[in-house]
Amino acid sequence: MIRTYRALLVAQLQAASQYRVQVLLWMLFSVIRPVIFLAAWVAVANAQGGQIGTYDVRDFAAYYICLSLVSCLTASWNAYEFEYEVRFGRLSPKLLRPLHPIHYAVVENLVAKLTQIVPLSIVLVFISITFDARFRTTPAHVLLFVPSVMLAAALSFLSGWVLATTAFWTTRVHSVSTFWDRAAFIFAGQIAPLALLPGPLQAISLALPFGYVLGVPAEILRGGVSPSTALLLMAGQAIWLAIFFVAFQRVWRAGVRQYSGVGA
Amino acid sequence: MTEAVVDVRELRKTFRVTEREEGLAATLRSFVKRRRKDVNAVAGITFRIDPGEIVGFLGPNGAGKTTTLKMLSGLLYPSAGDAKVLGYVPWRRENAYLGLMTLLMGNRTQLVWDIPAADSFRVLQEIYRIPEDRFRAAVNELTELLELQELVHKPVRNLSLGERMKVEFAAGLIHSPSVAFLDEPTIGLDISMQVRIRRFVAEYNRRTGATILLTSHYMDDVVALCKRVIVIHRGRLLYDGPLADLAERMAPYKIITATLHDGAAPSTDLDSYGTVVSRDEGRVMLRVDRQVAPERTARLVNDLGDRLADISVEDPPIEEVIDRVFTSEQATVSA
Repeated sequence: MIRTYRALLVAQLQAASQYRVQVLLWMLFSVIRPVIFLAAWVAVANAQGGQIGTYDVRDFAAYYICLSLVSCLTASWNAYEFEYEVRFGRLSPKLLRPLHPIHYAVVENLVAKLTQIVPLSIVLVFISITFDARFRTTPAHVLLFVPSVMLAAALSFLSGWVLATTAFWTTRVHSVSTFWDRAAFIFAGQIAPLALLPGPLQAISLALPFGYVLGVPAEILRGGVSPSTALLLMAGQAIWLAIFFVAFQRVWRAGVRQYSGVGA
Repeated sequence: MTEAVVDVRELRKTFRVTEREEGLAATLRSFVKRRRKDVNAVAGITFRIDPGEIVGFLGPNGAGKTTTLKMLSGLLYPSAGDAKVLGYVPWRRENAYLGLMTLLMGNRTQLVWDIPAADSFRVLQEIYRIPEDRFRAAVNELTELLELQELVHKPVRNLSLGERMKVEFAAGLIHSPSVAFLDEPTIGLDISMQVRIRRFVAEYNRRTGATILLTSHYMDDVVALCKRVIVIHRGRLLYDGPLADLAERMAPYKIITATLHDGAAPSTDLDSYGTVVSRDEGRVMLRVDRQVAPERTARLVNDLGDRLADISVEDPPIEEVIDRVFTSEQATVSA
């Protein structure tokens, strides 16, 4: 399997190298939204004497920088491509090879992240200096961040595939994933750090999967939660990952049967 | 009896499709209630194919050819019936089976567009776990047979349709499958490329002993490659037997072509010999019943005497035979 992955990785890197401009645009896209929110929160915090809850302007900067990084590392866009593959029959040749189609998507996803991470880091360092970001990160936070962001990436990827698999039943995956993205917008920690959401919204966001993809790893990296709280949040990530793993297996099996039933 | 490579019994596939009449009212009604209809794409067919055979699978559009190939390759679940290919039930899609067969569709692509085919081949090598020496041998052989030298290093999107098809063939056969399902492999290709692909399929079959089931709208493909054909129409099997016997069974007539020294003047009465199909530049084509063909030919030779420059008796062109099969409602023959 490692050799298969290596071969897929080489092929995918070559394909990606043909779209360097697109890679850069996607990278910028993942930064723009957090930067807009950062600017808004900085304005609000300044108007209120420089502090909102436990966050001051420099904390907001650190949070949104971490969020940009996490957002790039956990991005998953398969729902869109999968719908296309199903609708135009491009899934068929993949189904007829002795390799599960998810592996192609895993590699594609990894390659996109690999190619974006360097230019993104440069942009983030620049923003960090501009806004004088304050990180409360300790070595323990960094150690916890690595598995946490991996859990988040896996969760984002698998939930994306569960959504994408609806393409087997409907050709309107876009509406399903748009609904998902809107929910994520509120509950994932994009509009505000989870700690600043009003009580009930915060409780809901901790019960839903969205925050475990973005807000949680971002807070761990910023050093915004204690290592013990971080471990608890990571348990939440693991539970959601397990739920989506089981869901994926069931939905996929039923979906392929459906696809095969209607005309592949 | 040898073990069949493909063994199909009473295979059926029914699709449920939504139907809607045109117009606003019907459209609005369809929001609430949809009318569904069952379409029998494959309505119970049975056949077997022995190792190393190349079989032509014929039928008009919508006959059920592609549906059958998709079931045999494992893409579709049948509604009823059984099929085994190389001893496997195809739609279980076991890795062991997938590694032994290929489905090539002339209008579909399976290569990555943005990279050269050579790199896609490497990926396939790992997916099919082909040992390096076997991989090299396969690539060399396919490169030679399909004349791919120049093509495999260009990104696939820069290739012409014909070039891409050749590369698709190589990609589909790189794991040396024992069974190949070819669905319209020459569709959209120019004549010379069609000829090359045909030559390649024949040579591949000869070298590897692979079993091949092929559909094509080009009868030349079938004539060049297949000794045996299976004809289906509206999901049912109409004929399964030697291509050579198809005409005899399906078209009960022969074509006599007579060339006359003095030209076939309209005044020459030939209607008493058979139905005149065409008449030009001294050549007359007559359609006569199969049984009376020898006697009519002898009479023609006798009656025309020295005026006759040449005469031949042949089966009607295969396209005509096939067309006759599909247009005649009562034709239900099986070998």
